[in-house]
Amino acid sequence: MLLAAGILILLDRLAGTSFFVPGDLLVAEKHLEHSGGTPLLWQHLFWFFGHPEVYIAILPGMGIVSHIISNFSRRPPFSYRACVWAPIAIAFLGMLVWGHHMFIAGISPYSAMTFSLVTMSIGAPSAVLTLNWLGTAFKAARLELTTAMLFCLGFVSLFVTGGLTGLFLGQPEIDAYFHDTAFVVAHFHMIMGMAALFAVFAATFYWFPLMFGRMLDERLGKFHFYLTFIGAYALFLPMHFAGFAGNPRRYADFTNFDFLKAVMPLQHWITVVAFTLGGVQLIFIANLFLSVWRGVRAPSNPWSGPTLEWNPDAELTEGEPYAYPSVKIDVAN
Amino acid sequence: MATITEPTIGAPPPLKPGPPRGGGGDGGGDGGSDQSRSGTTARIAVYIGMVASTMTFTALLSAMFVRRGLATNNDWHRLPVPPLLWWNTAALLLSSVAIDIGRRAFLAGRRREFRVLWLTGTVLGTWFLIGQAINWKFLSDHGFYMQHNPASAFFYVLTWAHAAHVIGALGALYFVACRTLFFPFIPLNRNVMEVSAIFWHFLDVMWLILMAIFVFWT
Repeated sequence: MLLAAGILILLDRLAGTSFFVPGDLLVAEKHLEHSGGTPLLWQHLFWFFGHPEVYIAILPGMGIVSHIISNFSRRPPFSYRACVWAPIAIAFLGMLVWGHHMFIAGISPYSAMTFSLVTMSIGAPSAVLTLNWLGTAFKAARLELTTAMLFCLGFVSLFVTGGLTGLFLGQPEIDAYFHDTAFVVAHFHMIMGMAALFAVFAATFYWFPLMFGRMLDERLGKFHFYLTFIGAYALFLPMHFAGFAGNPRRYADFTNFDFLKAVMPLQHWITVVAFTLGGVQLIFIANLFLSVWRGVRAPSNPWSGPTLEWNPDAELTEGEPYAYPSVKIDVAN
Repeated sequence: MATITEPTIGAPPPLKPGPPRGGGGDGGGDGGSDQSRSGTTARIAVYIGMVASTMTFTALLSAMFVRRGLATNNDWHRLPVPPLLWWNTAALLLSSVAIDIGRRAFLAGRRREFRVLWLTGTVLGTWFLIGQAINWKFLSDHGFYMQHNPASAFFYVLTWAHAAHVIGALGALYFVACRTLFFPFIPLNRNVMEVSAIFWHFLDVMWLILMAIFVFWT
């Protein structure tokens, strides 16, 4: 999609076509020869790529979190089928909602309404998935709060918080105000940036022993988790309030606007926390490098994982499915 | 709790051979389940390529639909039908048919028939490409340049994109043709032949869709 859009824009710039460039344009006091193109077409093509792309960032995280929460709850995922179908539904619906990025770009109000409805409907499989994770943890036979598990629970928290603000932005009337404000930045950083990163951290802690034969330091890991979790909220919650106050995004300097004077303390806070949060990640990097060489040697199956990667001695037969070891559930299901 | 014995990290799981699966063999004597497995992998790879190409064409076509819908200043002009369009389409269809009958002949072990049909399909495919160049020349001679109007711009972009795919696929067809004509003593891997044929049929279908849209809609 992006390739096609790139080809067309290149032709507009180099070959004189008019896919995106409208007519009667004066650029640098020169009248352009183009006629009839529309930048709206570029936006459609870009966001048809751009919106599913954000799901590419979060969907693997959902799989990781489902897997790890299940393992550290010592039970199969709550409603396994729903756990599988919900991300598939999210992936499918994610391809139909690109228009919610264009509510104020001049699209028809009827299109906006349709895009809004489909956007809201993504909330359903997302809620199913969240309830699955929480259900798995609540019904845990024995909840083990390892660093990987903490990052997964952090993921669920950030996913819910970031997802709820998506419901605001998915409505054309409210988006008319929030569009291009710090609220949008806070929303997508919370869900696509921080939540996706938490899944990466969880996966790193969980599978590190398999990759390097050593354990990541759990104490450092938990220290890193708590600071990052608090930092994520300390950074992005105030950003929502800045958005409420109408603080625009993509501005280098806010000091010239009277109406933004009240949010300047928030902006200072956000800047300080952002740098601190960045610095905190050095703990993780240090943990990573220290553990590769000096970490405690990993037992063969440190998390008692029942899946195939932890059971290399399993006898496999070509064409036959792997028989997962039975997991004993200690509580009534 | 999971009941797992203490294995060693990093050791690959031993794999017992399973029951034999069908589909092996290339007619040339070097078949078997290995080639069947790599055939599945090759087919998956070509299917992924086809999905990517389909998405590119879908993007261009949807852009065309939207752009035409927005052509409020009457800048959308109908293109004349190039004289070779139908001949070209027939050549591509026949090429696909020849390639597929050739593929079946190969699987049945009829090597001579395979060579003739595969070469016929490849030559017809080459003719299609030359015909496309003649069509582009016809349109530009009649004043339909890329900049002329959005209809001709989309025509050129879509047919160039299709031709670029055809050039790639023809490379694969020629590779198989040369292997079977000049190096008949080296057994031909049936997977190369099959994925080339699959992709060629895909381009055939893609062209029929493009042509139908150009002739009946734009």
